Amino acid sequence: MGGLQKKKYERGSATNYITRNKARKKLQLSLADFRRLCILKGIYPHEPKHKKKVNKGSTAPRTFYLFKDIRFLLHEPIVRKFREYKVFVRKLRKAYGKAEWTGVERLRENKPGYKLDHIIKERYPTFIDALRDIDDALSMCFLFSTFARTGKCHVQTITLCRRLTVEWMNYVVASRSLRKVFLSIKGIYYQAEVLGQLITWLVPYQFAHDHPTDVDYRVMATFTEMYTTLFGFINFRLYQTLNLVYPPKLDSKAESELKAEHEEDYAMDSESYLEKLSALSASLARVVATAEEEENQLDLFPTEGEDQENMQAREKEQKEQEAQKKLFEGLKFFLNREVPRESLAFILRCFGAEVSWDKSLCIGGTYEVTDETITHQIVDRPDMDKQYINRYYIQPQWVFDSVNAQMRLPVEDYFLGTTLPPHLSPFVEEKDGDYVPPEKLKLMALQRGEKPVQEDEEEEEEDDEEDDDEEEEDDVDDEELTEEKNLKKMEGTRAQGKTLAVKVTPGKVKPWETGSVGNKVRLEQEEKAEEKRLAIMMMKKKEKYLYDKIMFGKKRTTREVNKLTAKRKAHEDASKAQKKQKKAKKQ
Amino acid sequence: MAAVKRLKRVAAAQPGFMSFKSSAGSDDLNSGQRKRVNKNKKKNWNKHSDIQDVEEFLDDVRLQERATGGLISEKPDDSLFFVDIGEQRKYVQPEVQEGKKGKKSKSRPLRIDLILQHDSLVPPPKDILAHQQPNAKKLRRIAENAEKLAAMGVLPRRQKRLLNRRPAITASKSKTAANNFPDRPYYDLWGGDAKETADPYYLEQTGKKRVKRPEKLNSKPSVLPAVEVIAPGGSYNPDFFSHQALLLEAHEVEVKRERAELRIERQLAVNREDTATEETVFQELVEGLVEEEEDEDEEEEDVSIRGGLQQEKKTEKERRRERADKIKSQQKQAARVFTDKKQQLFQLRSIQATLKRGEQQTRERVAQRKANQEAEKSMPRRLGRLRFQAQDLEVQLSDEIPGSLRTLKPEGSVLKDRFKSMQKRNMIEPRERAKFKRRHKVKYVEKRAFREIT
Repeated sequence: MGGLQKKKYERGSATNYITRNKARKKLQLSLADFRRLCILKGIYPHEPKHKKKVNKGSTAPRTFYLFKDIRFLLHEPIVRKFREYKVFVRKLRKAYGKAEWTGVERLRENKPGYKLDHIIKERYPTFIDALRDIDDALSMCFLFSTFARTGKCHVQTITLCRRLTVEWMNYVVASRSLRKVFLSIKGIYYQAEVLGQLITWLVPYQFAHDHPTDVDYRVMATFTEMYTTLFGFINFRLYQTLNLVYPPKLDSKAESELKAEHEEDYAMDSESYLEKLSALSASLARVVATAEEEENQLDLFPTEGEDQENMQAREKEQKEQEAQKKLFEGLKFFLNREVPRESLAFILRCFGAEVSWDKSLCIGGTYEVTDETITHQIVDRPDMDKQYINRYYIQPQWVFDSVNAQMRLPVEDYFLGTTLPPHLSPFVEEKDGDYVPPEKLKLMALQRGEKPVQEDEEEEEEDDEEDDDEEEEDDVDDEELTEEKNLKKMEGTRAQGKTLAVKVTPGKVKPWETGSVGNKVRLEQEEKAEEKRLAIMMMKKKEKYLYDKIMFGKKRTTREVNKLTAKRKAHEDASKAQKKQKKAKKQ
Repeated sequence: MAAVKRLKRVAAAQPGFMSFKSSAGSDDLNSGQRKRVNKNKKKNWNKHSDIQDVEEFLDDVRLQERATGGLISEKPDDSLFFVDIGEQRKYVQPEVQEGKKGKKSKSRPLRIDLILQHDSLVPPPKDILAHQQPNAKKLRRIAENAEKLAAMGVLPRRQKRLLNRRPAITASKSKTAANNFPDRPYYDLWGGDAKETADPYYLEQTGKKRVKRPEKLNSKPSVLPAVEVIAPGGSYNPDFFSHQALLLEAHEVEVKRERAELRIERQLAVNREDTATEETVFQELVEGLVEEEEDEDEEEEDVSIRGGLQQEKKTEKERRRERADKIKSQQKQAARVFTDKKQQLFQLRSIQATLKRGEQQTRERVAQRKANQEAEKSMPRRLGRLRFQAQDLEVQLSDEIPGSLRTLKPEGSVLKDRFKSMQKRNMIEPRERAKFKRRHKVKYVEKRAFREIT
């Protein structure tokens, strides 16, 4: 009847997990090798739900792996290679100790190596899977490619990362898939759309490294080893989709143009090709020389109702994208010495501009400063001695802001020596009713095609005052009144078909101030408001509760927005006053 | 050979022959008596005939040939004699030696080499086999035949066998290049799959088939994105408000950290009341001397009271009263419950309300738990001994914001950001650098030379 007594920790979660040390022993690997294997195979530690059960009654913090994962690792052919390598190192050390130099040489020749191709294939069964996971690889490769060759990691790794990143940048240029750029204090964030996937990566500024001590370089190097393999295969496939030659070759026409007289001054022969590629100033050779990409249009299907609307929206979107791709087409840029060449050249080339730079800066400049056809010169210094009349001298931020705004911004704000408008993050997307900084409002207005209003500051101030009055009314605690007002506001926005974001400073149209036409409008509005109130009255209790909650939330956001705008106004007033004072002092 | 011997003998018999060693033979002839031996047997001829003189002679001939290159008797007189006309040369030689003393001493051959030199003037016998080849004719014929066959296009069997051998071994031996080789080639990994040609059962049984990767492993350990974009306040030329917002965030982090520090400090602080004063010290010394008696008294009293109670026996009357009391209280309780139940009929509404409230509470809790679970997906888990510690927020103060891109001073390290991001996404467990532990204590010894000075 009784059977065997059940023992503790012999079934359930205790057997589903395995500690790191036990796993290591099962695989007969050293800890370093085990970590490497886990990173390469994409097996991560796991936090069990009931630690005490898993840990057989002990509560000591440990690293656990799923037992099945480790069993899967046992089948990996690389494990054997790791063991072989361990033996190789042992033999080599022995040969060194005995000073058997021929033995050392022989061992060196037969050094065991391994390939990661099958692991990549296994982890990413399809190309799109791999492309989705490329963010990490990109950031890591860009990071490693900026390392100094000081022995923190293998020089070969740095060179390989550099090669891969150059290939990637060339691909993005060729496919014109860059979407957003953000200059942060940490580095430069880029976002590109490749085959429908949004890919974000971070590129550090050049020469900005102090090597932190609390980073495990061995772990990072292992990740990089895996990512370089993945990245290379992805690059190959991407080049194939564009009919480009891989490894990338410069166009024969461009190559002859780039044949500089003093090539040896820049780099050794073995490196000069990569340098030329990384200059990004020339287009790449294609497998089949096509005249121009044919405009690919969406297939049209007869649709109805919502579908049609969707279709139209999609078409519009595509048109916008097409327009964005040709943002800088036909413009000729010249980069001064002090601007970050690589990022600017990359971005400008992504949008179809021609770029060149000083001969002393880098290989691959295609024309001189003296070229009369240059339209923009990018300068980042307070003053220039010699200026040409027929070109704009602008600061580099213009390029980044224009890309983010998807249009060529007016150059006046970015002229040499002027104080720049703030560089807004393109990665922030405001929802309805959120606070939107006035710079962004202005930008949105520009995008809609409205002319920028500049010299009528006084009017604006008046408007603002009116706004303030309204706010004060809002602040009065008469709840019903405010609610009604809110309702009216909502109505107004709906009637005008505008987004709330634009309606942060309403008050231009006030129904009771206008004449007979206004009367009509007012009547209509009142009617609608009445209807609304009735509808609210008819609501069930539950729905009413929800409705009130929503309304409360909205009210709160508007209140916060109003607070922020007021603050901003105060800040601006203060700064204006300061300026005036300064002016007065100067005079 | 015989002819040569004869010739030599003839030469020796001639009256003009001079031998190098003339005195050797004469002793032997004079010594003792001659032994008589039958000479009718060839064996005895060999044994007892005296051939020493002939051998000596022949030795001498060989010696002459070795030393002078021929018989001295046959040499012309000019090569044997010269006219002595004084010592002229002796003066010439030393002068030359003085001039190139150093060089000559170096170029002179070693004595051991001179000793080992071939000094015989008889040339070594010619090697006849040097110009002859065994089986030359046969070999020549074979070669001719092979040439003819090759012209016809027929390969010999050995070559055929070589060609038929499988080349697989050489392919597997080719060295695998390192994974970070800068010019490593890539190919279309996801391109047309080469179907497995071999029998799947065979592959499975021989362990050559790859084990399928479990689907579960392809899910990521965290929902966080690989690259988290910094807040808009982190722009190199930020908008005023977003910058303020970021500053506020950084400030809050800092305040929290400071508060934690303060808390520890407070816990570590010594309570002033705990320090010993003279009074407390004295009390401690006296303790147990003064108050003993009082304690004993109290204890005694306690015991007496308890004992008294226990010892008293209940009377019958008391028991009856107790029983009645008990029944009464039970009745009272029952009545109470009954009335309560009756009252509850009127409380129906409030009961319903409490029930509803309870239900509402459970619903809220469920929602909260779900939200927590969702939030946990993006939280760093506890994967090892250490907890994940977020990196310091990168912030530039208002006066640090650069006017232009040229003057920007980058903040933070991208490498650390990447590393922390991986920890945050539960890909690696947080670890600290292994501390260096000295196995043996370091011994400091003053050197004697140094000690003498000081």
